[in-house]
Amino acid sequence: MVWQPEETVIVLGQSNQADTAVNTDISEADGVMIFKRPTGGQTVILTPRTIVISVRLLSEKLDNPQVYFKRINKLIIMALANLGVSDLNEKGISDITIGEKKILGSSIYRKRNMVFYHAVLNISETPEFIGRYLKHPSKEPDYRIGRKHEDFVTSIHLSGYPIEADKILEELRRILGENL
Amino acid sequence: MRYIFKFPDIGEGLDEGIIAEWYVDKGMQVEMGQPLVKMETDKVVTDIPSPKTGIIAALYGRVGETVHVGSPLVEYDLPGISGAAAIEEAAKPAFETVKEEGAGVVGTLEIADNSAYLPASSEDLSSSGHQSAQKSPQRALATPVARAMARELMVNIDLVQGTGPAGRVTKSDIEEYVTRDAKHGRQGIETHDTKHVTRRNEDGVPGHESRVTSHDLEVEIKPLSQIRKVIARNMSLSHQNTVPMTVFDEVEVGELIRIRYKYKEQFEREGIKLSYLPFILKAAALALKSHPVLNSELDLENNRMIYKKYYNIGIAVDTEEGLVVPVIRNVDRLTIKDIAIAINQISEKARKRSLTMDDMKDGTFTLTNFGSIGGQFAVPVINYPQAGILGIGRLVEKPVIKEGKVVPGTLLPLSLSVDHRIVDGGEVARFLNRVMEYLSDPVSIIIG
Repeated sequence: MVWQPEETVIVLGQSNQADTAVNTDISEADGVMIFKRPTGGQTVILTPRTIVISVRLLSEKLDNPQVYFKRINKLIIMALANLGVSDLNEKGISDITIGEKKILGSSIYRKRNMVFYHAVLNISETPEFIGRYLKHPSKEPDYRIGRKHEDFVTSIHLSGYPIEADKILEELRRILGENL
Repeated sequence: MRYIFKFPDIGEGLDEGIIAEWYVDKGMQVEMGQPLVKMETDKVVTDIPSPKTGIIAALYGRVGETVHVGSPLVEYDLPGISGAAAIEEAAKPAFETVKEEGAGVVGTLEIADNSAYLPASSEDLSSSGHQSAQKSPQRALATPVARAMARELMVNIDLVQGTGPAGRVTKSDIEEYVTRDAKHGRQGIETHDTKHVTRRNEDGVPGHESRVTSHDLEVEIKPLSQIRKVIARNMSLSHQNTVPMTVFDEVEVGELIRIRYKYKEQFEREGIKLSYLPFILKAAALALKSHPVLNSELDLENNRMIYKKYYNIGIAVDTEEGLVVPVIRNVDRLTIKDIAIAINQISEKARKRSLTMDDMKDGTFTLTNFGSIGGQFAVPVINYPQAGILGIGRLVEKPVIKEGKVVPGTLLPLSLSVDHRIVDGGEVARFLNRVMEYLSDPVSIIIG
């Protein structure tokens, strides 16, 4: 499933706490709801300028999580590359970047015979907006090297690709649908 | 028999996970493949299936606690396995591939090795003549905090009586152990707020004595930041892979001070801060061109030297998070002004925590300007696999002899560390002399 959130919400990772991960005074003042998901990874913010990618795979024979991260992230890279985005890389455990800056984060929930992958792709949200609500995460990938949200995160549009969200949605659905 | 299942590597390359939820409890009968626990790593939440059918004898860790890969997770009582069968079970290899149809986790699960073989009290293995199995060394079960504290206090944790679940050693057990030893005077004496505690080596043999204040027990344990991990790894690499040698010298830099003072205001009007560092960087780059071995790398695996024809100099920068070494590229081709601008830029990026990996890679030589904080001489640690690092100390005013007269001078202390496997002493001295020549006569830097 590939979809765009209709409103801005904050989603905590399984072990995140709102008071340590979120600027709660600001989110409360702005009326931004905070939810918690049962999957790992750090806190994310979903806005109408992002796209959420959710994939559920059922199998009697499950592989290592890295296999799923690589398989699905490569398809997402393929879809974005088809739309003309370049310098796409896989970095950290399961991020996608343009150059050194992150545009997608993903995590996995795995139960017996089922893998649920989900990711947030930043189409046009500003890093400043993200930094307004989210505190510096308690854990970070090597390539972040302490960078603040404003210096670590970018979007498809900010990177010089003013592609309409609908086109990205359409291409992601096509590539994922044909290959999964 | 008793069987200990250790937290397996679930394939992310991470060495720890957090217990999110227990699905089983002590005394419960479980089947092979049945989910035992939900574990969370950085990016994955996954159920860990049971590798065995048996009865849960103990769970190691509470929800929210961190468990390291290879640490005990669940202890089983495997009914019906005793005597020779137990020995056979214990003799199985430490790693065993779990078949897909039996478990949700796929790949390699670590199974308890022989040293984790713990016969249940009701099982009389000794009577079957297998004393050696019982006598095999056992590693204490302990919380991560207790292990860290034991390491810190150099206590052999295997000697500590655990009072936690299933005899697990806890932080308070370590505190009690240290305090009791000191009070009983077996390993030391207690005076006021200081205890003398005998520290033990890994085998539990008493070793040297050291002082442990009562405040040492009030420890705060924090996870390493990524920057600290990188620093620790790089420092260890240098220590393990180089043969360091350091040479110290001082150079009179009165002329450099005069020139810098002359152009400082002019640069400031253009928004550029001019320190001594651009001159030192340029001097080092020019000297590296004359002494290429200082700009080289030893490739022992292929029995060759790699001489780099580019002069990218890293600058060790002290930040709140720790040491970072951004690189200024092609310093030999830059003017003093260009270098000053580049230094301003990387300083700003370091301050804003916006340095990227690209900013810090491909260095061929390093400068560390500890003098800006304090200190004249040091033994800089080589930024492996580079061949050398030049330390800059604090400027000091001293009497010097010029044209036969004692006059006031300003000296810049230099500390040059090199990998002595690559660079011989004579070449070190010649390189340092060249750097000092440039710095004592800065016009020669511009002329080249």
